Amino acid sequence: MTIDDAMAIMMQVDPADAAGFERLQAVLESAAQNPALNAAARAYVLEAHTQIGLFQCGEISDAEDVLIEVSRLLEIAAEAPDPANPQAVSAAPAEPVPAAPPAAIRPESRPAAPAAAPAARPHAPAAPAPESEQLPADADRDLLAEFITESREFLEGAESAMLALENTPADTEAVNRVFRAFHTIKGTSGFLGLRRTSEIAHAAESLLSRIRNNEIRFAGGYADLALRSVDIIKGLIQGVEQALSGGPMAVPEGYGELKTLLSDPEAAGISEASAAVPAPAVVPDAGPTHPEAAATPAAAAAPAAAAASKGDGKVESSVRVSTSRLDRLIDMVGELVIAQSLVAQDRTLVQDNCLDLLRKVTHAGKIVRELQDLSMSMRMIPLRATFQKMQRLGRDLAHRSGKSINMVVEDGDTEIDRHMVDIMNDFLVHMIRNAVDHGIEPPDVREAAGKDRTGTVRLLAFHSGGSVVVEIRDDGRGLDREKILKKAIATGLIEPDKSLPDGEIYNLIFAPGFSTADTITDISGRGVGMDVVRRGAETLHGRIDVATLKGQGSTFSVRLPLTLAITDGMLVRVGKDRYIIPTINIHLCFRPNPGQLSTVAGRGEMVLLRGDLMPVFRLHRLFGIPDALEDPTAGLLVVVGDGERRCTILVDELLGQQQFVAKSLGDGVGKVPGVSGGAILGDGCVGLILDPSEVAAMARQHPGEVDGGRNEGKTAA
Amino acid sequence: MGTPATAAGFSQGLKSGSPVIAGGKFLTFVLAGEEYGIEILKVHEIIGLMPITRVPRTPDFMRGVINLRGKVIPVVDLRAKFGVPVDTATSRTCIIVVRVRGIEMGIVVDEVSEVIDINGQDIEPTPSFGSDVNTDYILGIGKSQGRVKILLDIERALSSGELASLQTGAEASLATCG
Repeated sequence: MTIDDAMAIMMQVDPADAAGFERLQAVLESAAQNPALNAAARAYVLEAHTQIGLFQCGEISDAEDVLIEVSRLLEIAAEAPDPANPQAVSAAPAEPVPAAPPAAIRPESRPAAPAAAPAARPHAPAAPAPESEQLPADADRDLLAEFITESREFLEGAESAMLALENTPADTEAVNRVFRAFHTIKGTSGFLGLRRTSEIAHAAESLLSRIRNNEIRFAGGYADLALRSVDIIKGLIQGVEQALSGGPMAVPEGYGELKTLLSDPEAAGISEASAAVPAPAVVPDAGPTHPEAAATPAAAAAPAAAAASKGDGKVESSVRVSTSRLDRLIDMVGELVIAQSLVAQDRTLVQDNCLDLLRKVTHAGKIVRELQDLSMSMRMIPLRATFQKMQRLGRDLAHRSGKSINMVVEDGDTEIDRHMVDIMNDFLVHMIRNAVDHGIEPPDVREAAGKDRTGTVRLLAFHSGGSVVVEIRDDGRGLDREKILKKAIATGLIEPDKSLPDGEIYNLIFAPGFSTADTITDISGRGVGMDVVRRGAETLHGRIDVATLKGQGSTFSVRLPLTLAITDGMLVRVGKDRYIIPTINIHLCFRPNPGQLSTVAGRGEMVLLRGDLMPVFRLHRLFGIPDALEDPTAGLLVVVGDGERRCTILVDELLGQQQFVAKSLGDGVGKVPGVSGGAILGDGCVGLILDPSEVAAMARQHPGEVDGGRNEGKTAA
Repeated sequence: MGTPATAAGFSQGLKSGSPVIAGGKFLTFVLAGEEYGIEILKVHEIIGLMPITRVPRTPDFMRGVINLRGKVIPVVDLRAKFGVPVDTATSRTCIIVVRVRGIEMGIVVDEVSEVIDINGQDIEPTPSFGSDVNTDYILGIGKSQGRVKILLDIERALSSGELASLQTGAEASLATCG
């Protein structure tokens, strides 16, 4: 029997299973007698054996603690210096282990454990640590892939628990959740041969167990340390993922530093009060720096009326499905819908009065529609994970900028289309940065204004009228109308005398490069963020609005369609071609009378509608469509665009409004200017979905062009 | 060619740099009065001519896109590619769907003939016609049943600087979900 065997058996032992402990005992004994073992390792294995013995005769009562201790001892034993591997940590000779078995298990003396570790740890940095390591030679790819996915889930749960703990440090369930996450990751990564991950997880677990035993509290520097551990483990896991696909297994920056800190936090001056800023909304007393004194049971004794555990009550069983398979399924269902409706609309069915057949077809149609609803719902994923990332980001940013901010997140179980999440992630980041950097004032300023020193940033998501709305509310200083106006005039964005309604003034903040910040921080101020936000919202076919009250705060709300898969659009005809204009872009359509039309310099055409002058863009010219209507008074003008960019597009006829399943035009065609994609029309043909802002931009660039650029341009009539 | 009777006619590759290929099965079709062949393995399916949606501002040889069971694929007119005048469609006009570099594309042809077996020995390297005629995309000239078939290197024929995004891929807009 070897140490590895013992570890394998140990991982399978259930704390409530006495027979399991006996088996473990036997294996440990056999392993201790293994001639291949060196003296140091043997000492540890024997110690582990003793621990089990103590547990079995009732000297130690907590089964879980025993297992943890045994696991720790076995690990040290496994790493005991081996002549063949000079890089191994040389811990054994300095250990007084055989002399103090009871001490090793007593929870209170756990500081001995991390204290022992530093004796060993300094060897690690001294040894020539390579910048990256290789995956273990016998790595099982499937196991590793599963480990990656599972660990990420654990870490997410741990992070969310940690964020909750910052507000309610007494939440024992949350502490346990974090502890279990580190413990499990430690075990599995050790088993898979991922040494670094296992070591860091082990060190983090030790920190957590001190918290679990109420030696220290989850606050200040300790909280930061725990969060940083999560980050480093995430980085290590990413390295494993890269290694699996053939890249190098990079070690994240700060790994060594974190390990040292974790091994003896106090030596580095970390304590409950050692964060640069007191943790948000918690711990009013700046405790003394010495950890023992600060570990007063007072907080622990406080009723564990912890925050309600964040919605992890019901656990649904689930399956993992490859996304390509899922997408293919959804595509096929979409095709089924069209195929079925083609059958249902077939003339034969309608004309020949075959009621029976019609009934059967309608029945099939109902089933198909339900299938479609189901498949649509499969594209959705909850916003919770994204919001959690934002919560963490807000917290970190607040610390960095020296402000005290309470990040509240309410995702309301809202889900959005999978494909939208990344873009949403990007612009949420910008919005949060904005709220923290520009919105919320520093604590002193807030106090002087009679507000609470701690500001609140609230991130919400909910359904409203068939759309998903994401809101960021802050109780900060609000937007300064005058300042915005002044900056806009100064940069030439608007005319000095123009009077704009408030709404439009606030919309100016979305202009590229616009910023009223007096100084640029590394977080924001360059005038890039809000432009990204607006463009992100537009890419997602959404809209962004801002409401604000000076001195009281602002609310940014982004309204998005439920899914990008479906585009609600107006089908229009130009010549023999059919195009789709997304409804969300259309303001109105009208047929102009001759009096409303005029030209500028014989080339630019304009139309006057209710006092607004807008340019007229001819689609048939831009796209080179033959046999199209040329006289606007016989056709229709579709008004698209916002504010200054409003314009009209000339089409022959409106064919109706409906919902289309949007499809990519594929790599073979590439990006076509003015077209955002394709859609399958009711008769099975492909219709092109227009991107009105691109069309407008094209038209402005090539005013006199004919035939879509293929032939020589003729001047506009 | 002047190949000695005993030589294994394969490894020449002398004339005009075009590779002499191994024999195999080819799908033959007619285009502008000429007979062509494509390696059968590259052919995905053959469908009848269906309405093709024109895509504006694309090169001339790009006829447009069609709906192939839910997937939107581009359709190319080889006549335009070869510089031959485009003709009206007949009832025998079809679209051959091929798979090139992982992308499915359709090519419009006048008439599909049959699948034939051509031996490597019956395939001659393309003669050079001078710089006027571009023969890069021809694998070789196959002889079968007393007739001559131009064997196309469909990958070369369908990829050129103009079909820009074969490699770089669409800057896929977010309307993509398939």
